Amino acid sequence: MYLILLSIFFPIFAGVCLFIKRENAGRRNLLITVGVCLTLTGLLVVSALFTAYGVDFTLFHLTRSLPICFKIDAVSVVFAAMTMIIFLCAGFFSFEYMKHETKEKRYYGYYLIVFGVLNGLCFAGNLITFYLFFEILTLSSMPLVLHNGSREAIMAGLKYLFYSLCGAYAALFGLYFIYHYGDSLTFTAGGVLNSASAAGHTGLLLIAAFVMILGFSVKAGMFPMHAWLPTAHPVAPAPASAVLSAVIVKAGILAVVRLVYYIFGASFLRGTWVQTAWLTLALITVFMGSMLAYREKVLKKRLAYSTVSQLSYILFGLALMDADSVTGSLLHVLAHGFIKSTLFLCAGAIIYTTGKTRVDELRGIGKEMPLTMWCYTIVSLGLIGIPPTGGFISKWYLASGSLKSAIPVFSWLGPVILLVSALLTAGYLLPLTIQGFFPGADYDYEHFRKQEPSRLMTIPLLILTILSVLIGLFPTPLIDSLTGIISAIL
Amino acid sequence: MDFIRNFPCISIMLCLFAGIISSGLRGRTARWINIALLLIVTFLSACTLFYTLSTGESFVYVMGKFPAPWGNEIRAGVLEAGMALFFCIIMLLSLLGGQHKLVKEVEENKVFLYYVLTNLLLSSLLALVYTNDMFTAYVFVEINTISACGLIMIRQVGRTIEAAVRYMIMSLLGSGLLLLGLCMLYDLTGHLLMSNMKESIAAIVAQGEYNIPLIVSIALMTVGLCIKSALFPFHAWLPDAYGYSTVSSAAILSSLVSKGYIFLLIKIIYRVIGFDIFINTRIIDVLFVFGLMGMIFGSLSAIWENDIRRMIAYSSVAQIGYIYMGFGMGTQYGMVASVFHMLSHAATKSLLFIAAIGLTDVSGGSRKFIELTGSAYRNKWAGVTFTVGSLSMVGIPLFSGFISKLLFAQAAVQINGKMLPALIVLGVSTILNAIYFMKTVIRIYTPVEATAYPSVTFKDMKLYAVVLVLFIVLNIILGINSQPIVDMIEQGLAMFA
Repeated sequence: MYLILLSIFFPIFAGVCLFIKRENAGRRNLLITVGVCLTLTGLLVVSALFTAYGVDFTLFHLTRSLPICFKIDAVSVVFAAMTMIIFLCAGFFSFEYMKHETKEKRYYGYYLIVFGVLNGLCFAGNLITFYLFFEILTLSSMPLVLHNGSREAIMAGLKYLFYSLCGAYAALFGLYFIYHYGDSLTFTAGGVLNSASAAGHTGLLLIAAFVMILGFSVKAGMFPMHAWLPTAHPVAPAPASAVLSAVIVKAGILAVVRLVYYIFGASFLRGTWVQTAWLTLALITVFMGSMLAYREKVLKKRLAYSTVSQLSYILFGLALMDADSVTGSLLHVLAHGFIKSTLFLCAGAIIYTTGKTRVDELRGIGKEMPLTMWCYTIVSLGLIGIPPTGGFISKWYLASGSLKSAIPVFSWLGPVILLVSALLTAGYLLPLTIQGFFPGADYDYEHFRKQEPSRLMTIPLLILTILSVLIGLFPTPLIDSLTGIISAIL
Repeated sequence: MDFIRNFPCISIMLCLFAGIISSGLRGRTARWINIALLLIVTFLSACTLFYTLSTGESFVYVMGKFPAPWGNEIRAGVLEAGMALFFCIIMLLSLLGGQHKLVKEVEENKVFLYYVLTNLLLSSLLALVYTNDMFTAYVFVEINTISACGLIMIRQVGRTIEAAVRYMIMSLLGSGLLLLGLCMLYDLTGHLLMSNMKESIAAIVAQGEYNIPLIVSIALMTVGLCIKSALFPFHAWLPDAYGYSTVSSAAILSSLVSKGYIFLLIKIIYRVIGFDIFINTRIIDVLFVFGLMGMIFGSLSAIWENDIRRMIAYSSVAQIGYIYMGFGMGTQYGMVASVFHMLSHAATKSLLFIAAIGLTDVSGGSRKFIELTGSAYRNKWAGVTFTVGSLSMVGIPLFSGFISKLLFAQAAVQINGKMLPALIVLGVSTILNAIYFMKTVIRIYTPVEATAYPSVTFKDMKLYAVVLVLFIVLNIILGINSQPIVDMIEQGLAMFA
């Protein structure tokens, strides 16, 4: 119990302390503090996951019927473990990367706070607690977006804030209805709707469900509320983009999982217009995100559009409400987390060493930074969905779930669009590899410089790459444990 | 313990006497008397609150020796005592927080007048809260108006005089309507004491007579008080009055004066007309619609505003709209939500005004957003406090604003016809709130390269910083510990019936 609280509030407290800390303590000192805090939080999360699994406790009551409570269940484990790994890797990566940025203290402060808040989201036991942390997440991650303080960054931060708050309030709007028509707001597998009081109000509740799904999916960049994502993610410092794009957007996914499977219940939504509309929006986003990424020239923006597309794979799987597709979605949460953070860290390493941001400037980069580019290539293959990487397994499950589900049109349209999008993914990720390793005959092969970044950057990259391959090579234990979750909620 | 029954009367009298005494004193002495008075009244109100909570019922205090149908009465229940306590706390904090501006903005030889006016204002607020007699209520409404005008005008620049004149005209119009309604009601019932009026009105309604005069008089009183508390179409006087007066005045006006009138309206609804009779008139629908419009248009005006003080003032229009929307729902839950929002808004709005002044002070006194860029770094305490206030206004959990939104929504889902408009407008207005408050927060936290303005630290503004912290604490108490307060409001409203 205390471990849960500690893993949430220790990083938040540490982050706040960093702001108060004196400016002139020196960079080394700061990094040691942050490193210790990050490691400690990681350990706290791991021990909380092992010892406090299934513990359910209430911190205090907001009002009589609204407790702030925490619980660790299987879904929390998946999300919390991913958050922890990526935050640690990107954190150590930024020790090197942030050398060329200013205001490091503020960056690390908010970084730690966001870490704690994400743990709070993973461990939230009811919708109101979740909502609380969801709002705080928006507020605390915004400074990461507008870190460099340029006009562009501030406008991006505002856009992010505006979209996220609108989404959160749309969700709050639906929360009022659940509060009225549900037994409680506690996350319960199969839903909390009270069939007696909800009878006769199905239409209204479906509207509420749809508005809430839309609202929470804003964080996950689903069409039509996706526009903030390609603006906000690239302007942040690269490690921050990595956590934004790999972890923080997953808060939207977690929200939808909690909402659909733990509040409304899959049986309530299956076969309704909400499911159809949601599937349509997700598929549009998958295709559109890939298309936009394909046309984008700036590397980090391209990756951000790719996030838009990939997250809607996950949403598509969740919307199908089929055992296989949900397995695929949860697998893709992990796979995409590791892959996208690696991609952004690679982009960061490239920017850090060469200062180049556009894809067409990066000819021959594979010769200069072979290790980074190898990581990039391997995870790119993963994102496209080529075995034996993680992306293959998750997409396999998504496609087979889609075919198995008897939803007309979508059961075959889904896999088709997934395939097209996979092709596009190859189209936007691989040119960098090809030009990087095979720069062509006119490239000056004699005079390139080896400029691999330091170990502080390459080791996190390697760890994340290996993880993304490992979940593709040995998915069985993961799938077994996910099956446990899914049999409970479907 | 029964001597506590004297406390409401003593508090009102103390305020009046303090006002009279202060008129012959110098500014500094008047200030100390004012602070002492506020502390004493806070203590007395707290005692009254505990007394009514422990006895579990309200009590009536007869002024003079004349018994019920003729004499003048004071009545105190949980809600009255709680409101009085809350008003005193907010007033104390607002005065202390705006103290340093007062010294600069008011001429040396007029400072004592400021305290005379605040003492009178407090007496009228307390009287509005405690009185059981409609005519007394009217008298103190006028005292309230005059002292509020003085509070606006005491900072003598062109805009404040204009604002005070506007305020006076609108306010007198409001009290005129109130008086008209009151006269008609007196004509119908033959009484001025609330309890007696209620009995006769119940009798009249039961007989089915005088239907139209009754509705007209209710409407006149409601509209009169709506004008005075700046419900949406009658809000034109508000931005100037709140925007240009000295900051303590703005905080007191926005968070207390308008609330005093609203509280009087609640008393009229419950104690004079009767809740059910009031609900059965269609007036609540009108209030509901204007409340909703206020929520939207107040926020829109705030978004277009380029001046931080006027922006906060326009936000008041929106928040007053929330309160009337709660009235308009016509249920007990809506009422509880409205009363809680009165508290929450009073605490937050005064906080915002006081924090904003810290920010404008470190921006060369300019209130334009462009000049405020980065001011939160120059005055960190004010920056943090302003952020807290904004988050509360926007409705982030843990702060008071979230609870009032939750209560409104809870009330809204229980009535069929008004549920969707209420919830949709609640959602839209929340988003609009978010736009202008977050815009401001980002603006004040946007770093600037070089600035001509100096920074201030804790040492330069000890009193101010402490007041800010107290405001934050008050807000968080309302946000986290709302259940006992809501219980008290429910208990107090039950005592009204």
